[in-house]
Amino acid sequence: MLKSAWVAAAGFLATALLAAPPSEARSLDAIIKSGSIRVGVNPTLPPLGTYDDKNEISGFDVEYAKEIADKLGVKLEVVSVGSPDRIPFVTSDRVDFVLGGMTRNSERAKVIDFTVPVYTEGLSVLQTGGTKPKSWNELNTPDTKLVEVRGTTPVSFIKETLPKAQLTLLDNYPDAVRALAQGRGNTIIDVVDYLGSYTKTYTGVEWQVTSMPVDVDYDCMGVAKGNSSLKDWLDIAAFELERSGKRGELWKKWFGLDMTYPIPLNPYF
Amino acid sequence: MNYTLQYGQVLPYLGYFAGGALLSLQIAFLSFCGGLVIGTGFASVTAFGPRPLRVLVKVYVTAFTNTPQLVQIYFLYFALPDAGILLSSYQAVLIGMTLNAGAYLTEIQRAGFLSRRQTEMEAAEVLGFSRWQQIRYVILPHIAKVLFPPLANQYILMTLGTSMAAVFGVEELTGRAFNVNAETFRSVEIFSLVAVFYVVITFAATLALALIGRLAFRARMRIL
Repeated sequence: MLKSAWVAAAGFLATALLAAPPSEARSLDAIIKSGSIRVGVNPTLPPLGTYDDKNEISGFDVEYAKEIADKLGVKLEVVSVGSPDRIPFVTSDRVDFVLGGMTRNSERAKVIDFTVPVYTEGLSVLQTGGTKPKSWNELNTPDTKLVEVRGTTPVSFIKETLPKAQLTLLDNYPDAVRALAQGRGNTIIDVVDYLGSYTKTYTGVEWQVTSMPVDVDYDCMGVAKGNSSLKDWLDIAAFELERSGKRGELWKKWFGLDMTYPIPLNPYF
Repeated sequence: MNYTLQYGQVLPYLGYFAGGALLSLQIAFLSFCGGLVIGTGFASVTAFGPRPLRVLVKVYVTAFTNTPQLVQIYFLYFALPDAGILLSSYQAVLIGMTLNAGAYLTEIQRAGFLSRRQTEMEAAEVLGFSRWQQIRYVILPHIAKVLFPPLANQYILMTLGTSMAAVFGVEELTGRAFNVNAETFRSVEIFSLVAVFYVVITFAATLALALIGRLAFRARMRIL
């Protein structure tokens, strides 16, 4: 038993070191030829993605991806991804592109490529019975007990802006909101629009939202590094969906209102 | 479009990973010790105790060996607060792993207790050993030798099992690997490095346990 455990560990290591890396991303041609496109959607970020009554993933991201698949003339294959693993899903060629609030930043752009923006998001502060803070500095104390989700953009923002605050990292949004409701923390900094369907299940908790001026993030489709045949095409498809008003229509259907920070249609973004 | 390994980006986190490995070892060690106490007590009950108590122990063992450990800790972490008991991440993981280990160690030790030979006991009786002397000189050396290898295996399994603590916000080795992965996205490099850490801490434990087993209980264990 001990021997086999040791051999298994060595074997696993050898596999990881030698065999794993070279996974080639599928080009646009390869996708069209295969007849289906695989899109990563986070099912814990309603209304972007959530499991519906039939236990299938639905939401804005799914319908947007369906539009893309229709333009390409292929079938849509939705793959469930989480916040911490969505980029590995792209780099290991398990999906052709990923949605799910995929904020572009220079750190991520070192490992994957981003299309033009699909939607925007702005961070707010959600608290349980806290005093409404007036500045970020006010939150930079050990009394701020943050519960965040691993692998999301606010985490690095918090490490820079609020180094004195206490931080617990959980795996997904339902767990993080539950932890807050149960008193394991008092604050989460994230895109509050996504958290509404979770906070409303905890009716006994007094949720307070404070909007504070932070940068508006641009969320794109994440594509494997260097897969320009797919990325170039997606850029144009995204532009068409934005220009035709289809993106806005889907947004209104799922979020109930227009996007808070619209994407200006200039030549760059 | 070939992937290039970039271990340079991950090396600055070596110290951070080592700290996580220490925490993993700590959780494994503490919960194993706790589990051993529960296991020894409950195994004695199953082997020698009265029937109602045996049934209770049986219920406990069945419940904990037939449900996933992850679900057990989930229960402690997310369900108990609704009953007004708020355990911290670390406490929930430690208690969960201890209770789980207790169940497995009860089973392992029960088998050991039952493996003592009646003839040896009778011989001790005839030689006029007191109850304590029987335990000290006949039962313990015998069952220790039988029990040591499976106990050591359980310890290794528990060391690897600590990785699920990451789900509950404990920043042990796996949790730290997730964090660094979220910052650098160098999955292959990070997780192969973390695998090396796990091999090192389990192999070190294997060696230490084999040595203790050989010297203290004359139990022979193969290492490689």
